[in-house]
Amino acid sequence: MKVNIPLLTLLFVCFINSSFSSAEVLNKTVAKVSDVTQNGDSASNALIELGKRLFFDKRLSGDSSIACSDCHQPQYGFTHRTALSPGYPGNKHFRNAPSLINTALKTRWLHDGRIATNLNDVVREMLTEDYIMNMDMRLMQERLKQDLNYVALFAKAGLGEPSNSGVRKAIPAFLAVLKSTKNNYDLNKLNKQARQGKQLFFGKAGCSQCHSGHLYTDELPHNTGVPENLSVFLDPLSHQTFIAFNMFMGVSDYMSLKRDIGAGVLTHKADGSDRGKFITPSLRELNYTAPYMHNGIFNTLDEVVSFYNKGGGKDRYLDKKIKPLGLTKVEQKALVSFLKSLSSSVDIAKKYTNQEHQYSYHLIEKWQDKEN
Amino acid sequence: MNRLKQAYFRLFIVVLVLTLIQKTSASQFPPLAPLGKVPEPPDNKTTEAKIALGKLLFFDGRLGGDGSTSCASCHVPEMGWDWPGKLSLGYPGTIHWRNAQTIINAAYYDKLFWAGASKSLEAQAKSAAKGAVAGNGEDDLMEARLALIPEYRQQFKKVFGDEWPKINNAWNAIAAFERTLIQTDTPLDHFLNGDKNALTAEQLAGKKLFEGKAGCIQCHNGALASDQAYYNIGVPPSSEWQTNPLAQITMRYELYAKGMDEQQYRHTKADPGAYFRTKHPSMKGKFRTPSLRYTLYTAPYMHNGELASLTDVIDFYDAGGFTSDGRTTAYPTTKSKLIKPLSLNKKEKKQLLSFLKAFSGKKITIERPNLPAYQKLFSKKELMEAKK
Repeated sequence: MKVNIPLLTLLFVCFINSSFSSAEVLNKTVAKVSDVTQNGDSASNALIELGKRLFFDKRLSGDSSIACSDCHQPQYGFTHRTALSPGYPGNKHFRNAPSLINTALKTRWLHDGRIATNLNDVVREMLTEDYIMNMDMRLMQERLKQDLNYVALFAKAGLGEPSNSGVRKAIPAFLAVLKSTKNNYDLNKLNKQARQGKQLFFGKAGCSQCHSGHLYTDELPHNTGVPENLSVFLDPLSHQTFIAFNMFMGVSDYMSLKRDIGAGVLTHKADGSDRGKFITPSLRELNYTAPYMHNGIFNTLDEVVSFYNKGGGKDRYLDKKIKPLGLTKVEQKALVSFLKSLSSSVDIAKKYTNQEHQYSYHLIEKWQDKEN
Repeated sequence: MNRLKQAYFRLFIVVLVLTLIQKTSASQFPPLAPLGKVPEPPDNKTTEAKIALGKLLFFDGRLGGDGSTSCASCHVPEMGWDWPGKLSLGYPGTIHWRNAQTIINAAYYDKLFWAGASKSLEAQAKSAAKGAVAGNGEDDLMEARLALIPEYRQQFKKVFGDEWPKINNAWNAIAAFERTLIQTDTPLDHFLNGDKNALTAEQLAGKKLFEGKAGCIQCHNGALASDQAYYNIGVPPSSEWQTNPLAQITMRYELYAKGMDEQQYRHTKADPGAYFRTKHPSMKGKFRTPSLRYTLYTAPYMHNGELASLTDVIDFYDAGGFTSDGRTTAYPTTKSKLIKPLSLNKKEKKQLLSFLKAFSGKKITIERPNLPAYQKLFSKKELMEAKK
């Protein structure tokens, strides 16, 4: 880490998570998903535009080689097509890149839920983490000041000159625009098969026990027994990242671990009963965000439904809500149909695909005389 | 009581006289001497196995952010174990703000980096590997990489007793390797060890100037030809800051990262140098005296590479700390009083140049090692059988 999470914040996060109970089903109030809107004053629009430009700018990584958009690709629902995210040059990641659509509506972030404050903190974590973008934000600030486009955009957005704090306001503003449009379920346009799937989702299959609320997630950690993606350990480029992460998060057996302990990095129970829990992902936009699960182990929704139908995976601490479902093949198909109907009928990511910004540094003329 | 006062008074007189003698006689500076035994810290003894490990690590970009940048990237053996540009190569997407110094004989310094920021080779290796415009590495990932390379695991265990490689021991190993990169057989060393024919007549004349009229020995003294003190000799600000956007970025970054207050951060347009050691204004623009050894291979010169050749260096000093186009330090108040026009004639300059070359022996090269590969830590079978 370039910038350590303040200890108090880390303790706060641990406290929040330690109060969880896997049996608890919170009736969460999540802000209603609404149509994409960019109405507002010119400063707000400038802030969004600034955030968008930053999102696609490779110079926000230490070696100027990757941008946010390299792992969160708009054409794939702001995810990455591979099971495991590319990570930073010289290493690979050990988890799947989550979608950024609706991320502004969440209350906790990352597959292990380790950030539960705000997107400002998430942005800082992503930029500064050594295996993600490896950016010293003090250097980033000076890079931005060297680009006239940013000098103008920061001013227009009411942020003064380019700065670290400005970046961490602007990117979240852009992320806030990435919201689902109404899906067929929202619009009450389910076909017969999907309607059957809906009955199963809320009934026999029991999906809604965790996939609840407008984002179809309770945002709590659960152990569903997802199989390990062995690439994490068989590829040294992924394994080094896994080791470094667990080392940093204070997992004592980080060298001998053969599983991703997920939210266990926050609770560190001596008996290991907190291991293997991951935050319930949203079910919106699944049409665009394959592969699935925190480690991308399933390529299709059919595989996911089949996994749950079998009662999840083998794990001594499997969540008690996970049981064999006894769904017939027809029922499984119906459930998949319903899941697919939860995606926006219009691919909202299309308008961000193939963004091309002009990026360059300008020379500050008569630099000796400038205050900058 | 009177006797005591008399004793103190006599002591005072003696000290005063000695001080006056020292100040008026150039011969009182530590004389040039043969380079002796390499200093070795008590907590990092040199062994053959440690040197061998350190050599591999010196060339390994995995001790850095993205695998691209090793010690050898900026301290290139085929050059002068330095970087041939004015400002050193930076981490990809960046440029450094100072010239890379040679590694040869770095083992003899106890103030490393141009402004003395590190006090040991071990500390310097760490700073370089982690600097945002240098190696940009982080401990956790670098250590994890070492752990996945069986040859390194084996060697760290053998050399340091580490169950898993410890990143601090990587710096220890690199430092041990660097302690082997010395040159003790220059023509000057031979001469000082008694070989009267090791220096030519021209070089001997240059030596006389070095120790006399040119006054070089005031700072370039002792075995290292450096007193390791800080001086502002009048080197002008880097010309790259007028022409290179990346250099402008790095300059501001370094000021910000090194903790200048906002006013100074926004207005400072020249390298403050050793100011960061004390934050006292009297240190602005000062840099540690570099050794003259191995300088035949380390052009360009000065902390920012503004002088392209040794001839330019001699002309610079002859002018009293001004470049041929009239540039000098941006910190005139701290410019050293020792720097004065020398009034050297053409022949004298040639003699002095000839002597400077005697500080360097043959070029030191090394065969680049084949770096050990990553291997899986676990077999697929082990992973499949792991209980959850």
